[in-house]
Amino acid sequence: MNERPYIPRSGHAAPAQARYPTSKRAELKIWWREVDRVLLGLILLLMAIGTAAVAAASPASAHRLSTRNVHLPELYFYWTHLKWQAVGLVFLFGASALSRENARRVGIVLAAAMLFFLMLIPVVGSEVNGAKRWISLGFAGFQPSEFLKPGFAILLAWIVSWRLRDPQLPVVATVTGVMAIVAALMMMQPDFGGTILFAGVWFTIVLLAGIPLKRVGILAGAGVALLTATYFLYDNARHRIDAFLGGGTAFDQVDLASRTLLAGGWTGAGLWLGVRKMNLPEAHTDYIFSVIGEEFGLIVCAIIVLLYLAIIVRVLTRLVDEEDLFTLLAAAGLCAQIGGQAFINILVNLQLFPSKGMTLPLVSYGGSSTIAVCLAVGLLLALTRRNPFLYRQTPGLKALIAKELEA
Amino acid sequence: MNALTFSTAIYSGRVQLVTIRQRSLTVARLRVLLVAASFALLATMAVLRIGYLGLTDAAHSATSFEEALLPPRGEITDRNGQPLARAFPAFALWYNPDALGGGTALVKSPKEVALELKAIFPDIDEFELTERLAKGKAGYLRRRVLPEDANRVQAIGELALELPQETDRYYPQGSMGAHVLGYVGADGHGRVGMEAVLDKQLRDPATRMHSVPLSIDVRVQGALEDELTRGMRATNAQGSAGIVLDVDTGEVLALASLPEFDPNRIDEAGARNMFNRVTNQVYELGSTFKPLTVASAIDAGTVTDLSRRYSALPFRQSGFTLKDSHDLGASLNVPEMLIHSSNVVTAHVVSDLGPARLKKTLADLHMNDRPEIELPAKGFPIWHSGEWPILRAMTVGYGHGIAVTPLHLANAYAAMVNGGIYRPATLRKLAPGDVPAGRRVFKASTSARMNQLLRMIAVYGTGRKANAPGFRVGGKTGSADKPSGGGYNHSSVVATFAAAFPMDRPRYVVIAMLDDPKGTVASSFQRTAAWNAAPVVGRLVPRIGPVLGVVPDSTRDVDLTDLAPLVPKGGGE
Repeated sequence: MNERPYIPRSGHAAPAQARYPTSKRAELKIWWREVDRVLLGLILLLMAIGTAAVAAASPASAHRLSTRNVHLPELYFYWTHLKWQAVGLVFLFGASALSRENARRVGIVLAAAMLFFLMLIPVVGSEVNGAKRWISLGFAGFQPSEFLKPGFAILLAWIVSWRLRDPQLPVVATVTGVMAIVAALMMMQPDFGGTILFAGVWFTIVLLAGIPLKRVGILAGAGVALLTATYFLYDNARHRIDAFLGGGTAFDQVDLASRTLLAGGWTGAGLWLGVRKMNLPEAHTDYIFSVIGEEFGLIVCAIIVLLYLAIIVRVLTRLVDEEDLFTLLAAAGLCAQIGGQAFINILVNLQLFPSKGMTLPLVSYGGSSTIAVCLAVGLLLALTRRNPFLYRQTPGLKALIAKELEA
Repeated sequence: MNALTFSTAIYSGRVQLVTIRQRSLTVARLRVLLVAASFALLATMAVLRIGYLGLTDAAHSATSFEEALLPPRGEITDRNGQPLARAFPAFALWYNPDALGGGTALVKSPKEVALELKAIFPDIDEFELTERLAKGKAGYLRRRVLPEDANRVQAIGELALELPQETDRYYPQGSMGAHVLGYVGADGHGRVGMEAVLDKQLRDPATRMHSVPLSIDVRVQGALEDELTRGMRATNAQGSAGIVLDVDTGEVLALASLPEFDPNRIDEAGARNMFNRVTNQVYELGSTFKPLTVASAIDAGTVTDLSRRYSALPFRQSGFTLKDSHDLGASLNVPEMLIHSSNVVTAHVVSDLGPARLKKTLADLHMNDRPEIELPAKGFPIWHSGEWPILRAMTVGYGHGIAVTPLHLANAYAAMVNGGIYRPATLRKLAPGDVPAGRRVFKASTSARMNQLLRMIAVYGTGRKANAPGFRVGGKTGSADKPSGGGYNHSSVVATFAAAFPMDRPRYVVIAMLDDPKGTVASSFQRTAAWNAAPVVGRLVPRIGPVLGVVPDSTRDVDLTDLAPLVPKGGGE
């Protein structure tokens, strides 16, 4: 009774709020109750498939990348992938253990830092295959654009959620400005595929932010116009689109990938029994889906497609009864980023999309970018954590659709 | 008033924020469903595409377990496991003028590329090739390229020079045994020989990991082809045929038809030689039938006394004069008849035997049907069904008026010397338990007698040049005029030597046949089998005998002491 209400005074910290006593064990228990276990299971399943797929593709890439002086052992990429996956899992579980607020903070800081590095690239970046994407840290290199991916959606979602505090803020204009900066920096590398992916995330968030549908149509039109412009402005993009439309020549990448994809029939040739993969460039990264097709069969390919869809649908349908706008936007953005990358890669392998140089997230060999993907997934898990014992105000998916149909 | 306004301002601001929050959330929730739906659409597209590709794209052949783990076609070996036909991964050189995506086909000039290719394949005609490259028409430049040559072609750096991998059939022994093996056509199916017979087994994934052993012994095959070629060249013969047959099992140890073809390189000249003289061509094999006639007569009991003498003078039968090629005296007994090869005396033996019994014996020896062997090309004998008049029986008795393949003759001789059991010939290696029981054609006693008589021909008669010391060869010559037009061409013969060894316990029958040999220095200007076919066997047996476990032994021989006095040189009159 003699306690006075807290009045901020200089030199006096706020007293610690009353909390339940916590321990590591209790935190773990809470995490286990709150985390979306179905989503976690689907993600780990995909990563396991990725391990097998990299094992299958490793000999092909090791052969291809061995030189006269450096001979890579057949399973070189497999063992390296396992190491990166182990590190990635630490990041995945670490990120998923963050509270929602901390996940937001991590995302924003990450995005800001990576934007800074992205600006540094023209100055200190190292050039690989005609594109400046890497920053060398001496012992290892990393691609700022890869690590920007997990933060980007969170940054944009955070900016949009400002509106809840002040409706007058030009949030859509701000996120579009951020997008423009990122796009400019990405095209300087140049990385057309990456730009498209960031644009997709931005588009999703702007769409969810509630811009009028008319403007969505205008945006779609502008997107087509921009794509056409890149076709004429960027040689690399033009060559790839030409190859896609013209069918290309025999033995080009697309053709080799389709030969590999179909070489296993429905049930596949069996692990390490594929033949065509040996002629495939980028077997362990961009075209790992084709290697899976040869060694594990088209049925497994279809199952992988459905797994990605399951992850996306699981996250998005649960967002329907989310009460926090930031969480809704950020999770949807992360989901669009992972799903978008996965489906672009799959459609390239299925010859429904021009060759893009994009890996299959969670499955492909990625080196340091494996950590970025795991971080994104971990942040997604952190954002979708919810207390299962809390009653939700929102009407839920069924009522929402019913209401929409009525209207 | 002032305070009231202030408080309502806050109030309305809060309400506004809550409304904005609610509205934003509702819009976002609905549009999240839109995003989910578009991803569902993408996934449906991908799955449908996978289904479509899997169902329709038959152009890409699937990599199967079989393709990854098994040779593309089973191997064929000889009876000792020596490879005769191997599956060999190789490359072809394909010219694809569109590889650069239209425009010019080549980066360098056609002349330069042609010269670089000539440096790798010296047999290329660079002018012809330059023209072909310049013309820009797609096609094979070369069907077989070895891996190291493929690397060198790759190093030229022309995209238009493509090296599709093709599995190839390789016959390490070259043309040896070509008629037995056959070859594999461009469609991947076997042709001509055992490649055609075993095609299903060699292609079937369940069986193709096992190589198929043939009954052929590559060492015997090589020796046979070598000696036949030598005999053929020495006498300018058109062709020749030979066979080595195991008398106890019917396994063919060697089978050659010359001139041969090269299964590694099938061309027009080779295709002309694919005809198999051993199994497909029927010949009137002449005097080599006389032992069969005698065996039939001994078996039937119409020849019991080998010292009985028959008239050797020419005689007329059914308006036709039967005579010998030269005067053999007034009379001959059966051993002398075989030693000197008398048609007249054979006719007398047949007249005692009767046409029906001779016909039955020959039919029992399967001479009324195609020869029994796996090969697809088998000639039908010229065999007269119905009752034989006596004249026909007489001519058949000395090998005319009947035409059979050399393989028929080998099978018949095997039955005659092995104790009297006929077995079909086979090109498959037989396990000891798989040897067919066969059927009895001659009595064992007849067979034993025939072994003596055949040995006598080689010791005292026309087969002396085949009598390799120590190998106890026995056999009968046959030189038949080749039919031409309605009659016989007296200047063209088929010379045959049908032999078996060792006669004290016969194990192998050897047939050597020369088609149209000329009289040359090597054959002392003679055209008969005694001077050309018999020496082939005489040289062949010492080469194959030790390989087959028959060692020369001068202390062993079939016992001729009871018959030797019947012939002049054997100590008789």
